[in-house]
Amino acid sequence: MNYKVSGVDSIIIYLGDTITQNTSDKILSIYQNIKEKNIEGIIEIVPSYTSIYIQFDILKYKHKTLFNIVKNIFKYIKIQEQKIAKAIEIPVFYGKEVGFDLERVAKENSIEIDELIANHSSKIYRVYTIGFAPGFAYMGEVDKKIQTPRLETPRELIPKGSVALADVQTAVYPKNSPGGWNIIGRTYIDMFDKTLEGFSYLNIGDSVKFVPISKDEFIKNGGIL
Amino acid sequence: MSILVVKKAGALTLIEDSGRYGHMNMGITQSGVMDRYSYNFLNKLLENKSDTNCLEMVFGDIELKSNVNSFIAVTGALCELFINGEKKQNWVVHKIVQNDTITIGKILKGQRVYLGIKGGFDIQSELGSVATTLKEELGGINGAKLKNGEILACNEYIECTPKRVSEKLIPTFEDTIELRVVLGYQEDSFLDSEKEKFFSSTYEVMSQSNRMAYKLNGETISSTLNGIVSEAISLGSIQIPKDGQPIVLLNERQTIGGYPKIGVVIPRDCSKLAQAKAGNKISFKKISLEEAIKEEKLFLEFFS
Repeated sequence: MNYKVSGVDSIIIYLGDTITQNTSDKILSIYQNIKEKNIEGIIEIVPSYTSIYIQFDILKYKHKTLFNIVKNIFKYIKIQEQKIAKAIEIPVFYGKEVGFDLERVAKENSIEIDELIANHSSKIYRVYTIGFAPGFAYMGEVDKKIQTPRLETPRELIPKGSVALADVQTAVYPKNSPGGWNIIGRTYIDMFDKTLEGFSYLNIGDSVKFVPISKDEFIKNGGIL
Repeated sequence: MSILVVKKAGALTLIEDSGRYGHMNMGITQSGVMDRYSYNFLNKLLENKSDTNCLEMVFGDIELKSNVNSFIAVTGALCELFINGEKKQNWVVHKIVQNDTITIGKILKGQRVYLGIKGGFDIQSELGSVATTLKEELGGINGAKLKNGEILACNEYIECTPKRVSEKLIPTFEDTIELRVVLGYQEDSFLDSEKEKFFSSTYEVMSQSNRMAYKLNGETISSTLNGIVSEAISLGSIQIPKDGQPIVLLNERQTIGGYPKIGVVIPRDCSKLAQAKAGNKISFKKISLEEAIKEEKLFLEFFS
């Protein structure tokens, strides 16, 4: 565990170099503990794959003092292994009319489309971090058989609800936006809703499973083609 | 009802405040005023609370019709200000009465103008702030820029101490600016020779610069890292993408990102950068964390 200065009023604490469940467990446990304590003078806490970023009030803390506080927390807390028992289900219509890259992703990985869908929807993913845009949850890890690199040139517009792949990661675009991930399907679930308690449908540490649904079911539930 | 009617909204006028904090963990950017220096002076002039909202304008030709007796001030970029056609000074408190017409003409020097009213506008806050972030459709009026015909509710005030900001404290918005930088994040991945190059070069502000980031063009800088595992990005972070051209991330930056960062521009100088225009020249100067903290504390104390 070490830290770097990330600003006049912030530090970034590293708990590892690579993306692993174990590192993520440590980060989430520290994050949840700090959140619960509601420590005065902490402005932002942003957990990511291997780091925790903390922005603080410089009239209250020094960089080093804050790092020591976190180090102490880490020493005394029990690292919670994230349970994968109750995964949050996200219904997905995996169809060519909404999954613009479905065919190409299957081809590039030399598998049938049905196999690609079965693979993507059989695994339980973990939300490692939320960022890029409100409610955009980075989930992992995608099975080796279907890992696909980002597009060389990002698309100008990816429709809201698009289910996407990029290397070891998978995600749902919470709203219409530009983006460079491979699109394989679409959900009708609102990933970010200002009126929702907690705003974001998914939270860091959640377990997620994608469930294939038919086009009819997708449309019946408010899905838009 | 006490209101200002927006007769001409201008091409890009946003309702902003000090920013939206505590939601970066959900991917929500901090947003808020780009030039905190001018904004703090605006509220100081009007004896407002420090996070009172105001208008941030990038283009001129704005007209507001007053249906209120109150006080306004304009800070930030140097611009033409008229009340009922009569030329008025920036960085000074002005009384306005019913039926007055407030006009912002041309922006003469700098990039962003701030117009505030005593007590601020009555805007519903979203996630703790009224700061407008267009790409998130958050803040302001329905998450959008100001439109012609909109109404800004505010309160009546009979008294306000007549104040002006002394000349020597008003920024001059030069075409060449120096930004102070604290090394941090992945600084170790930049060889000494690369750091030297970075601190001795002059960069040009590119036209793609906006509230999210300022893109610069000049000597290319390289990191020994190809990319990093995505992590949170602070205000002023200097990101070096694969093409080696620095990008300074500002108020509407993405919350996390995967490019190596050499360090951060100190907050005081982010305000200066926010007033720079395409074609302006930028250079960087290294300062210690201790100096940067001292500078920031002085700034906070001055406005407290």
